[in-house]
Amino acid sequence: MLKFIAKRLVQMAFLFFLFLSLVFFLLQAQPGDITSQFLDPTIPAEVQALLLERLGLDGSIWSQWWAYVTNFFTGNLGVSFSQYPKEVIDVIAERIPRTLFLFTFATIFAYGLGFVLGKRLAWRRGGFGEASITVSGVLLYTIFYPWFAILMILLFSSSLGWFPISGFLTPEFWRGAPFTGNEVFGQLLLSFTISAAFIIGGLILASRSEERPQQRMFRRAGYIVAALAFVLFWALRTEMRPFAVDIIHHTVLPVITLTLIAFAGTMLLTRSSMLETLKEDYILTARAKGVPDKDIRDHHAARNALLPVVTSFILGLAFIIGGGVVTETVFGWPGIGSLLLQATVIEDVPLATGALGFIGILALMAHLLVDILYSVLDPRVRVQTGN
Amino acid sequence: MTDTRMDTAEGRLGDSNSHAEAPILEVNNLVMNYELKGGGMVSAVEGVNFNLPRGSSMGLVGESGCGKTSIALTLIQLAAGNARVLDGEVLLDGIDLLKLDEEEMRQRRWTDVSMVFQGAMNSWNPVYTVGEQIRETMDIHWDPKPTAAEARAKTEELFNLVGINPEMIDRYPHEFSGGMKQRAVIAMALACDPKLIIADEPTTALDVIVQEQILEELKKIQHELGMSIIYISHDIAVIAEITDLIGVMYAGKLVEQGPTAEVFKRPRHPYTWLILSSTPSITGDRRQLAPLKGEPPNLLDPPPGCRFHPRCPYATEKCMQEEPPLAEVEPGHSIACWHPESVPVTLAGSTE
Amino acid sequence: MVIKDQDSTEVLEPQIDGVETVELAEGELPESLLRVRLKLGWAGFKKNWKLFSENKLGLVGLGVILLFALMAIAHPIMRSVGPWQDDNVYDPVIGFSAPVTDFEVVATEADVVDPDSQIDQVTAQLWCFGSVAGDICSINQTPAPPSADHWLGTDPLGRDIASQLTFSTRAAFLLGTIAAVVTVAVATTVGAIAAFYGGWIDNFLMRLADLVLLLPLIPILIVVSGLFTVTMPLLGVLIGILSGFGGTAIVLKSQALSVKVKPFIDAARVSGGSNMHLIFKHVIPNVLPLSFLYMMFTVTEAVSLEATLSFFGLINADMTWGIMLSTAQTQGYLRSGLEFWWLLIPAGLAVSLLAAGFFFVGRAMDEVINPRLRSR
Repeated sequence: MLKFIAKRLVQMAFLFFLFLSLVFFLLQAQPGDITSQFLDPTIPAEVQALLLERLGLDGSIWSQWWAYVTNFFTGNLGVSFSQYPKEVIDVIAERIPRTLFLFTFATIFAYGLGFVLGKRLAWRRGGFGEASITVSGVLLYTIFYPWFAILMILLFSSSLGWFPISGFLTPEFWRGAPFTGNEVFGQLLLSFTISAAFIIGGLILASRSEERPQQRMFRRAGYIVAALAFVLFWALRTEMRPFAVDIIHHTVLPVITLTLIAFAGTMLLTRSSMLETLKEDYILTARAKGVPDKDIRDHHAARNALLPVVTSFILGLAFIIGGGVVTETVFGWPGIGSLLLQATVIEDVPLATGALGFIGILALMAHLLVDILYSVLDPRVRVQTGN
Repeated sequence: MTDTRMDTAEGRLGDSNSHAEAPILEVNNLVMNYELKGGGMVSAVEGVNFNLPRGSSMGLVGESGCGKTSIALTLIQLAAGNARVLDGEVLLDGIDLLKLDEEEMRQRRWTDVSMVFQGAMNSWNPVYTVGEQIRETMDIHWDPKPTAAEARAKTEELFNLVGINPEMIDRYPHEFSGGMKQRAVIAMALACDPKLIIADEPTTALDVIVQEQILEELKKIQHELGMSIIYISHDIAVIAEITDLIGVMYAGKLVEQGPTAEVFKRPRHPYTWLILSSTPSITGDRRQLAPLKGEPPNLLDPPPGCRFHPRCPYATEKCMQEEPPLAEVEPGHSIACWHPESVPVTLAGSTE
Repeated sequence: MVIKDQDSTEVLEPQIDGVETVELAEGELPESLLRVRLKLGWAGFKKNWKLFSENKLGLVGLGVILLFALMAIAHPIMRSVGPWQDDNVYDPVIGFSAPVTDFEVVATEADVVDPDSQIDQVTAQLWCFGSVAGDICSINQTPAPPSADHWLGTDPLGRDIASQLTFSTRAAFLLGTIAAVVTVAVATTVGAIAAFYGGWIDNFLMRLADLVLLLPLIPILIVVSGLFTVTMPLLGVLIGILSGFGGTAIVLKSQALSVKVKPFIDAARVSGGSNMHLIFKHVIPNVLPLSFLYMMFTVTEAVSLEATLSFFGLINADMTWGIMLSTAQTQGYLRSGLEFWWLLIPAGLAVSLLAAGFFFVGRAMDEVINPRLRSR
């Protein structure tokens, strides 16, 4: 298993290297050379020269290329034009957690919801429910995403007033607050991470144990402890709580919107994958064994139907990341996607390419996680790579 | 219908040799159709009767589409959604399986009747170990549920019985060879000590040598454990090798049944005679094989009278109009034919 | 789609058989070849059309596409001979028209009795600088709701929405066509070459396809359009190349692989066909039905991608649906809910509908080509 992960990591690093090279040559292909792109013409000449040297961008094109790529791996991304003299890496570091938050929750909800609904749709065929859910799935799948996000804001924020129209927090409310937004957000992430750790721990313990009732006990214990830990965590931070609630309030609508748009494809795919699986001989065998219907659906059919769905995540990744950029922009969510767009529009090249690089890292990391997940789920892959 | 039943009751298989004990399985006048989308009906099983004495094995043979698998699936109530059982009863140990509701039937599956499926290759769920899948049947049906150690002990015992190294328990199906998968399927079928096993084409996808080994294994297990087994196969040679009794099916109907040895020695129904004539025999005389001509009938609109008459060399006017009942020609051996006397004593193409 | 490629390789037989027959007849009947081809093509078309027309959503999709095609044709007609001839009013970019309403300027907000004809002095400064109570202030009303002159109203700059909408349709079709043609050209060539030569060429092209699949398309296009001046045709080519080297190439390669092992390829090789001849005369024609299918999905993708990028203001185009939406959003008309619906609904609906139309046609074609998918 470790060997497998190591192998994938090397592959990922290579892919990322190719990706960065692509960005570099895009910069080069641009009218004017990279130095004019990478350095703000308004800063003093001696600072320019210093920066060039530090970034290794003063040699030949090949040494520039090498320098560019290695700079990325050491976090040396240059200085932002628009936020001079702030380093690009610092601007990005501030925004990465927010994007990760949006991306992780939307992905988990989209795939979870899509899988559960698709599974049920395939199991109970026919009827109004199936038709309407399938049609709305197809509509969500083809709707123009920025427009959908706008309509969601119109409905839930402008008309119903349930959620704020945009942004990450309510500035009036935070005036004079004893914490910064990032501090509170950091604590939020910490509490979610702790809870997630308990859930994952429970699942691991469950997969280790042999007895069914014991497995269920571990799983449930994981969920309960996770919930308790979350409650306890915030019970101890009475002062910070209202500010955390404000941030959560701002996150709800973007997460829902991104989830809705990403879940439709998963649901439709799960449905067709499940229908294929139900035709397999081992499903008939399971019936003949007297396995209860619910277990056939969940343990036999859905478990196998999950495999192509997990694979599809790799294809869906580009989609969900693009969706993330749109979401962040339309909702004014200060993550890395909206940073990318802002930097591009104001032609802050170091910031834009830095953000693009980090989006690439995000995509590759998610890909790696899915690969590992797949190898856990499919013994055929696991055993092959294990040998 | 009732007439046919009266007639057949006498010729029913197994009555003569097991008066002492009730048969493990009685199938009475089973009629099953598949309903088509347009409203048509495919007559898949038509008035089938047979008994299976406890501890014996029976083979059902026939061309593909003759209804043998339909019978098997009806026995465990797993026929496709459009299957309609129109008449008949299936008494397993005296209980009519067709009258049970879905939940009762589910509980009886594998404990009362387990199944070895056609193409065991695909009978295994690829994402669980073979041991887990065998354990699943015990978890569902054993009362009380086995502990991990008990389940393992039982699985090891079963693996030894079917000739697989018990270390393979924790392996995944794709790590098994075809023959091993099939052996493991047999082991799984035995996990809940079923009263009856149905083996549907248990060796079809395997190469001849493995086929032979598996058949030997099955025969051995049947004798050791005193199992009652129904074998279903299109391959009459397989049936000949391992069964005590044989039932020959044609177009949804049972046309000949009797002790296997007797039927092979002297087939009485023209269809049986023709398929035996088209099958080579290693031990028997050298002879020219006589191919069976024609196609099985369209069951959407089965021919009137004897369903075999369009292909029968001895068909007469009567065969086209009246359905022959299953009647005994000698004790325990019965056929459904108007002209059993026309069938020659030796197989077609014999050198004799 | 990619997951299913093994299925689609098995089931393409019917289409392939038709072509194969023609190829075999080639040597003997040179004169009637064209007729035979046409006849076979027509018969195949009729059969496939029957299958296609069984799919209701596919027909709806086709209807939607035709409707948009009519809209695209309608714009130049309306502008040249129809009622939209006045450039100053109906030009989608520089046209301007606004109903003028006269307001009576009153001293304070509290004095406003009828908000439809009166305006307080402070607010009035926005339109009539220096006006005092008692003056008449004429205000251009933009955006204006739909009227007889402007069927879908005007935008915040007083431009006719209906004219913008139909004008943009042409651009969307142009972009979709370019992207689709480039995708098919690239993907069939890449797929056929990878399948035909195998070895390291195959390996290289497929790894490249993996990389392209992994690329976050929207972020890359954002940066590219920031660095370069991206026009609509260029965007079409970019999308075409990216989509052609990615998933589509993988699917078409597996299809080409199944064609490669067909006997008629060996026959052509034995009779002295060069590799290029084999690829372009035999492999590619047999992969084409499947690539037409992927053309449809490419158009769907291209239409939404373009709209997204021009919504962000990154495309160098006069007017597109994305720009229309962007105008409404940047001018802050989101906050007022659906009051200015004509700014938001037509453009957004147009993108969604056209994308969905091509998607549905693609799905229906998928069922024609891939019998496994037909109603089970």
